[in-house]
Amino acid sequence: MHSTIFGSLGFALFPVVIGVFAFLGSLVLPIFADVVPYDMVALFAHALFLLMGVMVGSFGLMGREFMNRRFGQASLIAYASRSLPVSERRIFAAFLAKDTVYYILLYVLPFAAGFTAATPFIGLEPGLAVLAFVSLALAFLLGLSAVCFLSTLYARSVTLLAGTAAVLAVAGLAALRLGAITASAVLPPYAFFLDPAPEPLALTLLLILLPAAASVLFVTVEYPDRTKRFRNRLDPLAGRLHGFGSSHFIAKDALDLLRSEGGAGKVIFSFLLPLGLVWVCLQVLIRFIPGIDPLVVFAVLLGVLSATIYNWLTEFDSFSSYTFLPVEVSEVIDAKLKSYALANLLPIGVLVLAATTSGEAGAFLPALAAFASVSAYTLAVTVYLTGLHPNVMLYSAGVFLRYLLAISPALLLLIFVSIVDPAYAALSLLLILPAAFLLARGRTRWQAWEMPGY
Amino acid sequence: MAGMRQMIEVERLTKNYGNVTAVNRVSFSVAEGELFGLLGPNGSGKTTMIRMLTGQIPPTSGSARVMGLDPASDPIGVRRLVGIIPEQETPPSFLTAEEYLHFVASIRNLDAVDERCDRWFDLLEFGDKRDVLCKDLSRGTRQKLMVAQAFLHEPRLALIDEPLINLDPIMQRTVKDFLKSYVQGGGTVFISTHILEIAEEICDRIGIIHNGRLLHAGPVEDLVATGRHLESFFLDLVRGDGGA
Repeated sequence: MHSTIFGSLGFALFPVVIGVFAFLGSLVLPIFADVVPYDMVALFAHALFLLMGVMVGSFGLMGREFMNRRFGQASLIAYASRSLPVSERRIFAAFLAKDTVYYILLYVLPFAAGFTAATPFIGLEPGLAVLAFVSLALAFLLGLSAVCFLSTLYARSVTLLAGTAAVLAVAGLAALRLGAITASAVLPPYAFFLDPAPEPLALTLLLILLPAAASVLFVTVEYPDRTKRFRNRLDPLAGRLHGFGSSHFIAKDALDLLRSEGGAGKVIFSFLLPLGLVWVCLQVLIRFIPGIDPLVVFAVLLGVLSATIYNWLTEFDSFSSYTFLPVEVSEVIDAKLKSYALANLLPIGVLVLAATTSGEAGAFLPALAAFASVSAYTLAVTVYLTGLHPNVMLYSAGVFLRYLLAISPALLLLIFVSIVDPAYAALSLLLILPAAFLLARGRTRWQAWEMPGY
Repeated sequence: MAGMRQMIEVERLTKNYGNVTAVNRVSFSVAEGELFGLLGPNGSGKTTMIRMLTGQIPPTSGSARVMGLDPASDPIGVRRLVGIIPEQETPPSFLTAEEYLHFVASIRNLDAVDERCDRWFDLLEFGDKRDVLCKDLSRGTRQKLMVAQAFLHEPRLALIDEPLINLDPIMQRTVKDFLKSYVQGGGTVFISTHILEIAEEICDRIGIIHNGRLLHAGPVEDLVATGRHLESFFLDLVRGDGGA
């Protein structure tokens, strides 16, 4: 599918981009080793791949509608058990195996290859890269397996899912109170990387295989799909949003989000959960880098992650739905930007919560400035590069490379100046200018793309 | 039709996609108060023609004017005036039928929205589905909804690609009767279809397009006067042009 959309070369270059960035990132590790020890880098890498596994699995939870709307054939495969002699379990197990191989080849292997290529230059044993490949793959599979299990619970019973989530949350809080939360305890694949012994490997495999087996055994494609009826909520919602302009478009975006599969669950799985992981990792990091302000760094990363809200807002929409109406492409983009601005109240709320619970209230203002600026800038880059199609376009190697090149230097610079003094995070406001420029250019650019020849 | 305002004027309109010519130097006009049918087999250029007339794609060469506007230079202006039913578009999944009509009404800055919506729910008999999400509507009901959104603002010209697709025979009758009454009330309709019976029954004039070229354009009554059936006339034309 991706090679069809982007062309074989465009898609084949995607893992190459991953590998190149891993290689370059590995080369600079010795420079910052005194500030960021290697085991911290390893922790981040494992958390990142766990996060990727969570997000890939989350797509399986909420991606059915996206796939049905875009490609149709995905649902034909998933529902093949209705007309062909193949069971739902076999289909789902095949999808799980496919995702495992596909994403390990797409993400983990090129990342490990890039790291391997750098080991002779940074004084590390190449064998360490092989170990990293295994442990990072396990971290990815851990995230994937967990979310697939949770999605199977969701399909069977929302109450069961809520109960399971509550039990896990209580257990986590209890462990936190008892001081049992360590990086190795939270991330068994990371523990295996630090100490490649049978015990952490066995624990990791258990945590992967049991939920995966359960999700296959209890899978169902017969989601509770009653024909629901709704009174008109568009007009009342648009009325409350009247002051923003594009009120009916914003109201439509809100209803798309709330009524689509997963609803608020999308927020939990694809936004808050990764943020929780980031926050935990930062709390561990400050023990090793005393000068770092976790709130400011969290705000910067929050700004990047919040740009995924734009992905939600465009997931169920397509400009082809408007081509027979008197609507310009720029109007649709503008409406999405307004919806995004309103939806950013959520990450701002998260930032306020982080500031009040961490005792870092003194750094709240520079953190807020950093968040707002990075969020606006990341959004602007996304809009410029992908228009109304971020969920598809970011899989193009060329687009993804440009996205990384646009985002990474700004982020790294901000994080490092904030280490010097958290107040310097306010320099992030300089990002507003390029953000405004990219948004203006993006509107024109995608008008031409959606309406070629005009 | 001399002296009548021309709602659509097409002059040597051409559309190329690389080496493929989808529409080849087509010229015709549609007068006010006409129901014009563009007929042709699959892949003959009908949908491409409608998309150029509604400003969704620009022509390669030639010109067109729709209600006096050039769809190539003012696509939004054209779409503000006309009603359009595309062949394969579906309404947004997570709005109800009623919400979608309100959404379209907001885009078109219409007043008395509830009354307009009620009229269409009653006429096309899908009021019991007004609070159902569009993704849960049957194809036929979605087509009714697309008909409703096209006429919600009471346009003087409607461009319709395959008007009766997915509709049951009873609803096909309703839509055909509506289109005829709409035209009798002063409206103009341009339909494209590959179903000859539609054209034979309701169209005033027809055009026959094949391989992007307009092979014939003229009143249906002229054919009737010669005693020929539209089907045999169509097949002779298309086969003579090297068609299936």
